[in-house]
Amino acid sequence: MAGLTLKNVIKRFGALQVIHGADLEIEDGEFVVFVGPSGCGKSTLLRMIAGLEDVSGGEIAIAGTVVNDVEPSERHIAMVFQSYALYPHMTVRKNLSFGLTMNGNPKADTERRVAHAADILQIGELMDRRPGQLSGGQRQRVAIGRAIVREPQVFLFDEPLSNLDAELRVQMRVEISKLHKQLGTTMIYVTHDQTEAMTLADKIVVLRSGRIEQVGAPLDLYDDPANQFVAGFVGSPKMNFLKARIDAVSADGATAVLASDPGVKITLPISGRPDVGSSVTLGIRPEHFVDAGAGDADLTVDVDVAEHLGHTSYVYAAVSGEPLIIERPESRHAGSQDRLTVGVPSRRCFLFDAEGQRLR
Amino acid sequence: MRLNNRIAYAFLAPYLLIFATFWLWPIISSFLISFQNTRVNPWRFAPSMNWGRLVGDPAFYNALYNTLIILVIQVPVMIALATVMAVFLNSPLLKARPLYRFAFFAPVVVGEVAYAAVFRLMFSADFGIINKIIGTVGLSPVSWFDNGTAAMALVIMAVTWRWAGYNAIIILAGLQSIPGDVYEAATLDRVGKVQQFFHITLPLLKPIILFCIVLSVIGTMQLFAEPFLITNRGGPGGATETLGLLLYRQGFTSLNFGYASAIAYTIAALAVAISLLNLFFGREAK
Ligand SMILES: Nc1ncnc2c1ncn2[C@@H]1O[C@H](COP(=O)(O)OP(=O)(O)O)[C@@H](O)[C@H]1O
Ligand SMILES: [Mg+2]
Repeated sequence: MAGLTLKNVIKRFGALQVIHGADLEIEDGEFVVFVGPSGCGKSTLLRMIAGLEDVSGGEIAIAGTVVNDVEPSERHIAMVFQSYALYPHMTVRKNLSFGLTMNGNPKADTERRVAHAADILQIGELMDRRPGQLSGGQRQRVAIGRAIVREPQVFLFDEPLSNLDAELRVQMRVEISKLHKQLGTTMIYVTHDQTEAMTLADKIVVLRSGRIEQVGAPLDLYDDPANQFVAGFVGSPKMNFLKARIDAVSADGATAVLASDPGVKITLPISGRPDVGSSVTLGIRPEHFVDAGAGDADLTVDVDVAEHLGHTSYVYAAVSGEPLIIERPESRHAGSQDRLTVGVPSRRCFLFDAEGQRLR
Repeated sequence: MRLNNRIAYAFLAPYLLIFATFWLWPIISSFLISFQNTRVNPWRFAPSMNWGRLVGDPAFYNALYNTLIILVIQVPVMIALATVMAVFLNSPLLKARPLYRFAFFAPVVVGEVAYAAVFRLMFSADFGIINKIIGTVGLSPVSWFDNGTAAMALVIMAVTWRWAGYNAIIILAGLQSIPGDVYEAATLDRVGKVQQFFHITLPLLKPIILFCIVLSVIGTMQLFAEPFLITNRGGPGGATETLGLLLYRQGFTSLNFGYASAIAYTIAALAVAISLLNLFFGREAK
């Protein structure tokens, strides 16, 4: 087991720079999730840690040793690929044992490790089949098994669940989480799915366009996003963003007035002093609206559609053409009228400046 | 017959007609001819004449022996070479890949007569470049066209030169169908490049290589152009006479079509038998 350190890591493909100076500290035994939209550089960063891509600048250290020039095979890491990357012509048993056998690991020990991995992942019955004879979920287990057998210091997962159907994805997610508890090994997991990130991670690293936007525990990101991007990325359905303007600044904080409904004024207890009249964005999560009158201001919206899921309802609405989503738990009638009035609690609101940075 | 079908067959008719005339009929006809005495006029039905002669003909056994020797040496050497070339072509380190791909494939496109002429020049005993090169390393020159063994070697080299690139391109297609992340997984599994080649690449290429072997076996069984054009019609003294040449000699020099047909059927039967053996030994172990 080992921790990792990334110091100002840069990656260029020719003239194209895809990672712009990543700094990151990963503790021994931690479950870290890299999350971000497709193409933001998650896989590239992971592959640099694995040694499958060269580092264009900066340093990557595993267990305190800089590994920039260490061969991937000597980094004591194991990787689970999105496409599984199983050896197509080998049985499951051979897929698991191949690496150890090639490295002259004693036969008895190899067998023990393979049996152990098969046991953990419950793939005992599949041992004599080939990858082509397995379902997607089974292949995924074998791919994870192959990583376990290595007994690595760090596990890397690159979107391991993205080829599975929704139900299986939830199931495997739970199993990967259990696996981490059981093995206690450092794991780095890449996904574009914020739900996976929130449920699995000890620590989430949010990436955008090759830059780390924020690092933190899942609930810290949810409660205290550093900027509008993170605020919008973490949480589902995503946070509502409404155009607003700073109306007044006082000792109590700043008062913002909605562009779409000047009657709605929210005072946030921020210590920063934005310019009066400057454009800002007010963020509030769908689940944080309250009953009319119970908040610090009331907001009346035009209802488009309402979805009733039983335990909760989502109302898709708009204020003067600005779309927003409102969650009304335990309500099966929300949105049955054309208009809906809800309360906005100011302590649940966030303010972002024109560049998307959080105003605190 | 439904109208639709009739129209369809009408469109197919020109092809079917040509196919029947120049493909199907000769196959049937030569089978029948192989049972006839074609050295008298008119031809007479004499079932044992050609086939009986074949069984005891030293010229046939010489040609069969030569063909099999070429087959046994040339096919494995060429396929191994083609595999190496394909791996080279597939290397990410290689620059100007399309150029090499074309260069390797070019021999197939070059006319047989032209390439044979060049080979004859290059291997000419007195002023050929090959003997010059051999001379510079201090060995005595080889009479490529007068020494039976050397002539066989020459035929084998020529055939290999002509078809190795062709097979390499086919194997390259197979190589490119192996996903790259399988190798990445193997690298992280601490499996070295050489081990990757023998334990991943080769097993996954097996069906393609088998296909190439079968193609080559069929081609070599019919080998004609090289011994005809390069080594003086199977010379010296029949040392490079192949079944294809023997067939040609019987059919078009001696005009003994019955015997030539019997030889043709023997070539086809051997090619099928050897190919089936290949497929049998190369099948997936269950
Ligand atoms: N081998 C490569 N050559 C050039 N560009 C690449 C290469 N691999 C990835 N990229 C680019 O780097 C960026 C990040 O890619 P990637 O790390 O795969 O994103 P993610 O995994 O977050 O979806 C993308 O813009 C992609 O086009
Ligand atoms: Mg990716």
